[in-house]
Amino acid sequence: MRLACFALLLMVLVQSPTGVLRLRVRVKADDASPMRGLSRKRFFLIPGTLEQNRALLEAIERQPLVTRDCYYKKLGASTALIDWLKEADCESVYCRGVEKEFVTGPKAVPEFVTAFTTSRKEFGNNEETARQWLTTNLTAELRDGFYRDRQRALQALLKQAPAVQSVMTDRNGTAYFTELGPGTYVLSNLIPTELGKTVVTWNCEVQVKAGDLATEKPYLVSNRKEKLVKCVGIEKPIPACATD
Amino acid sequence: MKTRIKPLLGLLLICLYPCLSVAQKQPVDYSKFSHATPKHKAACNTCHKITFPDIKDYPDHDACVSCHRPQFFRGARPPICSVCHSKTSPRDEARLPFRNPAAKLQFTIEFPHDRHQDVIALLRFAHPRPQNYYNCSVCHGQRTPAFKAVPTAHASCFNCHWKSQQPVADNCNGCHKLATPFTRAEPVRISSKFIHDGGGEKKQHVAECTTCHINITKAATLRGLKPDVPVTACTECHNKEGLRQDLNKELVALDKNRNFTCAYCHAPNVGNQDPPASHYLIAERPPLKRKDIK
Repeated sequence: MRLACFALLLMVLVQSPTGVLRLRVRVKADDASPMRGLSRKRFFLIPGTLEQNRALLEAIERQPLVTRDCYYKKLGASTALIDWLKEADCESVYCRGVEKEFVTGPKAVPEFVTAFTTSRKEFGNNEETARQWLTTNLTAELRDGFYRDRQRALQALLKQAPAVQSVMTDRNGTAYFTELGPGTYVLSNLIPTELGKTVVTWNCEVQVKAGDLATEKPYLVSNRKEKLVKCVGIEKPIPACATD
Repeated sequence: MKTRIKPLLGLLLICLYPCLSVAQKQPVDYSKFSHATPKHKAACNTCHKITFPDIKDYPDHDACVSCHRPQFFRGARPPICSVCHSKTSPRDEARLPFRNPAAKLQFTIEFPHDRHQDVIALLRFAHPRPQNYYNCSVCHGQRTPAFKAVPTAHASCFNCHWKSQQPVADNCNGCHKLATPFTRAEPVRISSKFIHDGGGEKKQHVAECTTCHINITKAATLRGLKPDVPVTACTECHNKEGLRQDLNKELVALDKNRNFTCAYCHAPNVGNQDPPASHYLIAERPPLKRKDIK
């Protein structure tokens, strides 16, 4: 009898219905720019309503924001490195390969040139290997200090309200939260996203029903209040650097 | 009398158990090396030479001889040699391939896809030069037209984790966790006709990986990770009004003949089964079993 009850419970648990939330994030950098998918940005889903997560939302609001440019300027990074990171919206040097033109010639990034020279000595004068592995000879702060700072800030926020899931948008700004229990969640990017001259924070309440499927219409997220947009972010001018 | 004998017998068995278990203890099989043996649990670089860009070979004899001298010099064909050598003879140096594919794996690998997605999988500059940018293909090359490969060496890891980014090269435990020996499971593909790179009539199967592998960016560990691709990833193109109707066509064919084999995506082992409810959902029809088709 007990075994039968357990089996029944197991069956119910296994078959417990879950839902899918399909995000589509589209942004406009300014009025003249076209709407585009926001690629490669992480979103978090936190259980509860906005009211239930009030403390977290206040913490998000209060957190100091150091932009990428400010972080690297403070480190004394060259303009060439800052531009190289900005060109691909990179949080660290790992997000793009370092091509030849950035270690020699007019477009060379000084920090890469130094690391490349060290790598050549270390890796047997093989230029290709030295270039591909030059990140190992950059200082930790230059390499991924900005990313690590962001991770620390995220972890501090998530201690207040652990997210159930986090996903990153793909090239087109689409992402899926899967296997979600039915209920109310707060969709947030936790740390404002830089969009050129502005930063955007999204905190929206989302209802997930059992049986919501990836085939359903996407949950539209944007920085502009347009038709069908269900979550509009709060946009602010990008903060100035402390030394500016 | 009987009640007295039973506890006495029990006591006797308890006393004799250690002797019996020693008597039953199997002799050590020195042809099988286990990293789980307590004395084999020292830091990896005690025995392995951690070289760049990969660890290329078995440890030197010194690593074994320090403890296993008696096993080394035992007869003409010491079993311990067969851990590394294809021929157990003092006159033959031939060795098994390092990372012997026939051997069971002794370590699982901790790899947080989510973190690596954050830092390396930008792919802003998509095609025509995806290989030049740090993305999924840094680690997952093409193995067969249908399947991508998983890294089998350290080069793609050491690129960042050689000496600066933890876990670094000599911190093996940062990624490798001792496990019960296991054989790597071959990936299972439901839609066996799918070809990754260069697939599709217009060679357009080049979308970025996370477009279809929707759970990768949330995966903090490899445990329980499945390359689960929802059918919607396919039907976004293959069953779209005005574009293609590949799924609908096969469901219609099945309506006419319950023995129809769905062959556009599937091999017969899958194509002969009942289409799952998700497929009917895409086609906006109620699900049907083959046996219910007249």
